[in-house]
Amino acid sequence: MSYTEGLKCRECKREYPISPIHVCEFCFGPLEVVYHYDKIKENLTREKIEDRPKSMWRYQELLPLDDNPTIGTDVGFTPLIRSEGLAKALGVRELYLKNDAVNYPTLSFKDRVVSVALSKAKEFGFQIVACASTGNLANSVAGLAAAGGFKSYIFVPYDLEQGKILGTLIYGTNLIGIKGSYDEVNRLCSEIAENYGWAFVNINIRPFYAEGSKTFGFEIAEQLGWRVPQHIVVPMAGGSLITKIWKGFKELETIGLLDEVNTKIHGAQASGCNPIISAFKEGIDWIKPQRPQTIAKSLAIGNPADGYYALKTIRESGGWAEDVTDKEIIEGMKLLAETEGIFTETAGGVTVGVTKKLIEKGIIPRDESILISITGNGLKTQEAIQDEVGRPIIIEARLSEFEKIVAPKQEARVQVIF
Amino acid sequence: MEVHVRIPTPLKKLTGEQDVIKAKGRTVGEVLQWLTETYPGLQERLRDEQGEVRRFINIYVNDEDIRFIQNLETPVKEGDQISIIPAIAGGSSLKRRVTLTFPAKLIKEPVIYNIGHRFSLVTNIRSANVSENVGWVTLEIDGEEEEYLKALDYLKEIGVKVEPVERDIIE
Repeated sequence: MSYTEGLKCRECKREYPISPIHVCEFCFGPLEVVYHYDKIKENLTREKIEDRPKSMWRYQELLPLDDNPTIGTDVGFTPLIRSEGLAKALGVRELYLKNDAVNYPTLSFKDRVVSVALSKAKEFGFQIVACASTGNLANSVAGLAAAGGFKSYIFVPYDLEQGKILGTLIYGTNLIGIKGSYDEVNRLCSEIAENYGWAFVNINIRPFYAEGSKTFGFEIAEQLGWRVPQHIVVPMAGGSLITKIWKGFKELETIGLLDEVNTKIHGAQASGCNPIISAFKEGIDWIKPQRPQTIAKSLAIGNPADGYYALKTIRESGGWAEDVTDKEIIEGMKLLAETEGIFTETAGGVTVGVTKKLIEKGIIPRDESILISITGNGLKTQEAIQDEVGRPIIIEARLSEFEKIVAPKQEARVQVIF
Repeated sequence: MEVHVRIPTPLKKLTGEQDVIKAKGRTVGEVLQWLTETYPGLQERLRDEQGEVRRFINIYVNDEDIRFIQNLETPVKEGDQISIIPAIAGGSSLKRRVTLTFPAKLIKEPVIYNIGHRFSLVTNIRSANVSENVGWVTLEIDGEEEEYLKALDYLKEIGVKVEPVERDIIE
C-alpha cells in the first residue's frame, strides 16, 4: 500500500527510483518524494482519518512508506491548545499553540521525522542508523533506534546542553561529540555517510525523513476543524520544518481535504544565528553562512541546508521573517510558562518572542488567527534559564518562620469554614 | 591570465579525469566560459537552461565564496585557485576515498593487492608515503557496498587504520 511515485530533484526535476539517496547526480540539487495525489484523493477522506488512532500515522497515505510503520507507531497527535493567558498578554483575539514539547517518546517534533526515517531504513534493510544533530534529533534517533532494534551512532557538537547529552546516552547509543559547530558535524557526517553503509537519517535518508514534518501541519489543520490559521510562526534551523508544514497544507488542498490555504508562514530565528532572516531582510535568495552564537542551540545552524526553500516558502505565503535576542528568548520562555503552564526549550522562546515582535510591529494583525509552533521541551535546556527563574525560598520547618519569611500575618488570610 | 580550477569528483569524467585544470580568463565568468568551451559536457552540469550557475554549485576563489565577492564578475589573477564544489555532499555514484595507515608489521604485506584480490573491488592509489616504521596510502575504492564493507572489516581485523578522506564539500 504505497502511494509514492519516486524521487525527484527539486531543481532540475530529474527522477530517481525510491532508494537511500538524497542528491541529484546531475545538478546536485536535493531530492524529494513524489506521490500519486490522484489516487490518494480517491482513497482518503476526512472521516477515514478521524476514525483512525490518534498518532501521526493517521495520514499514512501522505508518508513515504511501502508498508505500515514499524518504528514510532505512537508518535504525534500532540495537543493543540486555544490560548487564553498568552493571548491576553499579547493582546490578540485568537491564538493557538501546537505543543510538540510533549511529543512521544522523546519530547520534540523530531520524533515525527525519525519515526518515518527509521521505518523507511528498516524497509531498505539497514541495521545501523546515524545522524548529525543539535540535540533533539540525537535524543529521538537514539530512543527510537533502541525501540526498533537498530545499532546507532549519533554525532553532535561536544558542547551541547547536559540534558540533551544525557537524554541520548541513556538509550545505549554510540554518542560522538565533535569539537566544532553543528555545521562542522554535518560536514563530517556527509563524509562518513559516503564511506559507511549506514542510514544517516538526515543525510542519505533525508528525502523520507523530512516528510515526517508534514504531519505537524496535517494535525494543525485537522485539530482546527479542517481549516488553517491565518498566521503560523515556525522556528527555523535547517529550514526543513517550515517548508514541510507548507507542503503539508498544500497537499491537503490538492487532495480536497482543505478548501483554501491562506496561511501566512512566518519564520523565526535567534539573532545570534539568523542566516535565513538576514537573507529575507536583504531581499536575496541565497544564504550567507554564519558562525552561530546563541543560547538557542537547537536552532544554531549557520549554513541551513533548506535555507533557500525556507525563504521561498515565507515569500510565497506572504509571511515575514524575524529574529530575537537571547534575552528575548528567555523572556519568551518565561512568558509562555507563566501564562500557559508550558515549559518549552529555547526554540519555543524564539517563536513566542518573534510572535510578540510581529504583533507589536503590526505585521500580524491583532484580530486574526495565529498559531505558535512549540517544537521542544524546556527540561532539556535548563542551562539557558537556570539563572533567570529565581530561587526557592528555604526555611526551617516551623510555622513561625513560614509566617515571618513567606507569608507575613498582615497579608490577607482566607479562613475556610465548612 | 592562467588560473587553476579544481574539479569535483562527480564531474571529473567530463574533464578526462583531471582534478585540476589550467584555465584562462580575467574574471570567474570568463574562466567558466573557457572551461565549458574546452569541455562542452560541463555546460549543462554547471549552468541551468537560463545560463545561470546552478543553485547547488558553489564556486570559490582562493577559498572565498564568489557570492561574497563579485559573483561571476569577480576578477582573478595569475595563479589564483578556483574551486567548483557541490553544496550538498553525497550521491551514490561517487567513489569512496579512504586513507589507510599501516603499522610497521604490515608494511611489507601486499595489503592493497589483497583487497582487490579477495573482494570484488577496484583500487586506485591517489597518494602514499611509506617509511620503515609507518606507512599511509590514500585509496580510491570502487565497487559494491557489501564488498566494500567486507574489505573494511578485513582491514580493521589485520590492524590497518581506515579513515574517510576529508573532501572539499560543504553542507
